[in-house]
Order: sequence, then C-alpha cells, then structure tokens
Amino acid sequence: MVVLFIVLSLLGAFLYLSLDEIVYNSIDSGLLSRAKALATLVNENDNETEFNFSDEVMWEYNSPKASVFFQIRRFDGTITEKSESLRGSDLPFQTGEKQMNFETILLNGVPARMVNFYIPYNGGTKGKETGKGIKSNRRGLIIQCAEDIDEQTELMQNYLIVLSLSILFVMIISASGVFLIAKKALTPIKEISETIDRISESNLSERVTMEEIPDELKPLASSFNRTFDSLERSFNRQRQFAADASHELRTPLSVILSQSEVMLRKERTAEEYKNALKAVGEAADMMSQIVRKLLTITRLGADKVELKIENIDPGEIISESVKLLTPLAEQKAVGINVSVPDRLVVRGDRAALLELFVNIIDNAIKYNLPQGRIDISVKKEKGFIITEIKDAGIGIPESDLGRVLDRFYRVDKSRSRDLLGVGLGLSICDEIVKLHGGRIDMKSRPGTGTLVSVHLKGAEDAAQA
Amino acid sequence: MRVLIVEDEKALVDIIKKGLEEEGYAVDVAYNGEDGLFMAENEPSDVIVLDIMLPVIDGMTILKKIRRAGVKTPVLMLTAKDTVMDKVSGLDSGADDYLIKPFHFEEFLARLRALIRRDSEVNTSVIEIGDLTINIATHEVRWGGKNVLLSAREYSLLEYMAVNRNKVLSRTMLSEHLYDHDFDLDSNVIDVFINRLRNKIDRGFDKKLIHTLRGAGYMLKG
Repeated sequence: MVVLFIVLSLLGAFLYLSLDEIVYNSIDSGLLSRAKALATLVNENDNETEFNFSDEVMWEYNSPKASVFFQIRRFDGTITEKSESLRGSDLPFQTGEKQMNFETILLNGVPARMVNFYIPYNGGTKGKETGKGIKSNRRGLIIQCAEDIDEQTELMQNYLIVLSLSILFVMIISASGVFLIAKKALTPIKEISETIDRISESNLSERVTMEEIPDELKPLASSFNRTFDSLERSFNRQRQFAADASHELRTPLSVILSQSEVMLRKERTAEEYKNALKAVGEAADMMSQIVRKLLTITRLGADKVELKIENIDPGEIISESVKLLTPLAEQKAVGINVSVPDRLVVRGDRAALLELFVNIIDNAIKYNLPQGRIDISVKKEKGFIITEIKDAGIGIPESDLGRVLDRFYRVDKSRSRDLLGVGLGLSICDEIVKLHGGRIDMKSRPGTGTLVSVHLKGAEDAAQA
Repeated sequence: MRVLIVEDEKALVDIIKKGLEEEGYAVDVAYNGEDGLFMAENEPSDVIVLDIMLPVIDGMTILKKIRRAGVKTPVLMLTAKDTVMDKVSGLDSGADDYLIKPFHFEEFLARLRALIRRDSEVNTSVIEIGDLTINIATHEVRWGGKNVLLSAREYSLLEYMAVNRNKVLSRTMLSEHLYDHDFDLDSNVIDVFINRLRNKIDRGFDKKLIHTLRGAGYMLKG
C-alpha cells in the first residue's frame, strides 16, 4: 500500500508540474508577443521617447475589465507610460536585472504573470554596445507586460484538488479491494487454523475439510492433514500400548498378589513355599516378556523406524534362525526340514527379517506336537519371495485364524500359557512384514497343523547376478 | 459352599483354587467359555467367578445366557477391563459384583462371602442360632461362649446348614455344595461329617441343633 501511495503521488506531482509548465509557458509566450508588439510601437531618441499607441491597441489595456496590463520604464526605473488597467498600481521592478525575465507577482491582491522586456537604446551608442551587452547600456526601456492569472491559478488549484482526491479515492478503493481479496483468500486459511486449534488430544481424528478449500491451499491443507494423521497414529499407538500393557499385566500381577497373600495366610511347608515362589517367578517373567515385546512392537510401529534395506539371501536368514532355535527344537524333538533354492534374493532389513523368521519358527516349534516336523520352503512368485513354514502342530481353529495376528491374541490361553506365549510374537511378525511391504497368510486346520506364508518383495535384477 | 471359577489363566486359577479350598470351599474350574457355560447351567454352584475375556465364548455372553436360562447363582465378574462402561455393562448383564484384576485375595474372599450371604437370609458375617455363633469371615465357631474347633470340611458343612437353616437338606444337596464335581459322590461321607459335627456341637446339650429327617436328609433347626 505504501509503495502504491508513493507511486501515485509521484505520478500526480509529475502531472501537476507538467500542466503547470504548459499553462505558464502559454501565458509567458502570449506576454512576450504582447511585449514585442508594444516594442514596435516605441521610438526612442536621445532624449525623447515616442509612443505610437493607437486606440485599437490601447483599448485592450484600458478597458476597466481588462486582465492585461503594461508599463514602460526606463532602465533607471522611472515609469514613462502605463496602461489604464493598472489603475493606481505599478508593476514591480527590480533594478539590476537587465535581461528578459518572467515572474509571478501579486497585483491588487490577484496573482499575475509578468514579463520584463528590455529594449536598449540604439541611437549613437550602437558601436559601443557590441560585446558588452545590455548591461553596459545605461539607457533603454523596459516593457513590462502582465496578465491576470487568477483563472489559471484557480484551474491549477482545482486540478490539484481533483488529482489529490483521485489519488485518495484510488488508494481507498485499492485498499478496500486488497482487504476484501485478502479476507476472501485468508478465510480458508483461518478455517484451517481454527480446525488445527480445535484438534487436541481428545479429538485427534478431526481434519481440515478439503472440499471447501480453494485449489491453491489444498497442498497446505493436505500436508496439515498428513501431519495430523501421523500424529494421530503415533498417539493411538501410545494409547494402545498403555491399554495393552495395563490389561496384559493385570493377570500376572493377580497371580503374584494371590500367591503371596494365600501363602501368608498360614504356615506352609517348604515345598509349598517353593512352588509359590516358582509361580511368582513365572508371573514376573511373563510380565517382563510382555513389557519387552510390547516395546518392540511399539518401536516397530513407529514411523521413524529405519530399515536398512539390502539384498538378502533368504536361505541364509532362515538357516540362521533355525540355528538359533535348534536347542528348543531338540528339547521337543521337533525335526526342521529346510529347502531353499539358490539365487533367490529378498529386499529387507537383516535384523528385522531374522526376528521375523525366529518368531514364526519359534511358534511352529511351540505349537508343534512332540516329535513333530516343520517344513520350510521358499519360492518365487510374481516378484514376491514366498517363504512357507508348515508345522504339524495343534493348529488353529478357523474362527481364530483372522485374529492370531492381533496383539495378545492367543487361541487357547490355558494351553499355551505353559508354552510361555504372551500372544505378541505373530503381531510383531505382522508389523515387520508390513514395514517391508509384504504380507502374512495363514492356513490351518486343528489337529493337522498350520501353514504360514510370508510374502516379501524380491529383487528382480539382483536375482540374476 | 461350592464355587465355579471360569477363568483361562491357569496360573491364576491354580492359586485361587488353592486359597478357596483352604477356606473350605469346593471349587470347580472351567478354562474356557464353552465349559464355563455348561457347568454354570448344570453344576449346583453357590457362587460363580467369571472372567470376561475367555476363549470360545466370552464371559458377558455366558452371563446373559445363564440369566436367560433362569440360573440365579450370584456371579462375581473378575476382569482386567477397568473402564466404568465395562463395569456398567457387566452389572447390567446380570453380574452381582465386579472385581478388577489385580485384586487382593482377602477382598476376593470378602466379596464371595457377601454374595453368598446375599443369597441367603443371613445379613451379617455372624450367624447366630441359639447359643451357636458362626463367624463366616473368620470361620470362628462358638457354642455357649466356648470356642469349637472344626476341620475345614466340618466347618463348611456347618456353615452351609446354618446359611440354609430350617430347610431340609438332602445328602446329595449337601455333598454337591461341599465338594466339587470331581468328587466321587458317596453320601456316607456326609453322614460321617454330620456325626463329627454332632459330637462337637450337640453332645452334652439338651437342645439339639442338627436333626435327622428319615429318608429326606438333615436340617439345622433354630
């Protein structure tokens, strides 16, 4: 706005000054021609000045309403003739000035423009004059011609007023225009900001509505929405963690409390105390497992988790996992048969994939029958590397199959509790596979066993190398 | 008194069962909802302890089903869910009380006692029948101002008869409420315990409390 004001003011000043110059120039040239015309009517001899003014010429200057004036002075300032229109006044004169000049004066309280036209006396002294100019000539006449410029001044004043008002008007119009446009443009931003203000812990699901927002602001709104999406996700994850943790920790805590309280009700045998302490220890162990796995799963679920994706030989990861679980498998006399073709490559994070396969194979061992077997095979299909882990264990009822990936879901807790499962292993696997852009499929029949298929992205080109 | 526990956490069931049995309760256990529903409808329990999160059928569904089937046994909900809404929906489904894990065993016992009392005509924790006072909280039995020492089984029998005083109790009813369903029902056992009680309570007093009703069973009169 300030810039606009300065530009408009400069433009206005330029316009005013140009018009001023045009007006004064035309007046000045008129005055000069009048002065020259009067000069032709003057004859000056050595001691005498003759004026050959005709009545026609003088009429213009002598009418009472005349707005033009003249006055003839000698170089020393004495007035020799003046028009009747001047009435009592004289046109001012400044001694010393010896050149034609224009000035604006105040005549009878009215502004006027005046020219001083110098006519040096030529007679006899012409030779001396050369090279010395008018100044050296002490004798000569000054024809002073003036014109009332009241009208022009008024015109200029009016012009100035109109110009100023126009600038002011343009300023007001553009200011209110800018204000309205800004207001209209800012309304959606205000709405976005109000929505953001409204979003708090309790209503994190609220979003900026995209329909009412102009196209220019959509990227802003959607980036706000995305930010809040991820905020909500991580917030929900924290809340879920707290809820899961408190829920899952309640049962082992009940066991510890009940054990200690029942045991302390009366004197017990050493055997009883031993059993109680064992049960308390197991409950505490369960609690620490829950806490550890919950933290793992929460960390995996967080967006900031950084996977170091590289080309990995699935056979290598699987045999490493199997090696880690061999003691457990031997304890249950479960045989593990691995068949992985060469030159397959998956894209993934080594540590995460190791955790994934250890968890799945661990489950396959835990839920297997004693002396059961586990078959692990890998194949490539439509760009995915599919690892199938098949156990001959207790299986999962069809009604539970859809929920086994949920946190803390155990098909039959009274049975699996002995196996120290806390129902988190598979949901950790699910998180890992999802982070890799893959998926886990499960097929199972109670009594026959479970088939877990892990789909991971393969590396097309690297497979050939 | 016979308690049915429907709870899938084996470690928790083990210790609760032990504690309750030491208190003289007979305890039945169901580890999943299906067994729990069947036992709640078919076993003569005095109180049911019911977990909400159960395999196969959840606790809330069991509760609604048994209430619809006309089972009036008091139910104590035992759960890890602790929101007000969970409590409200549990109580609205027909639960008589609600206990949140983790709980103190003493509180658990007190709530069970309160539920059993509510179901009988007894309103305080001390039952008085003539000169006989039975404190069901401490299991202290006094007869004419003197302490009477009873075994857990004897106490349970006396408490059950006192709670159901002036009612004819058959040998089957007594054994059903004193023993869990794994017990081989032999009504002679009841006769043995009745005799022991008579020796400790009725002997030496003119006014007998325990009466035999030929062919029908026993009754505590007072």
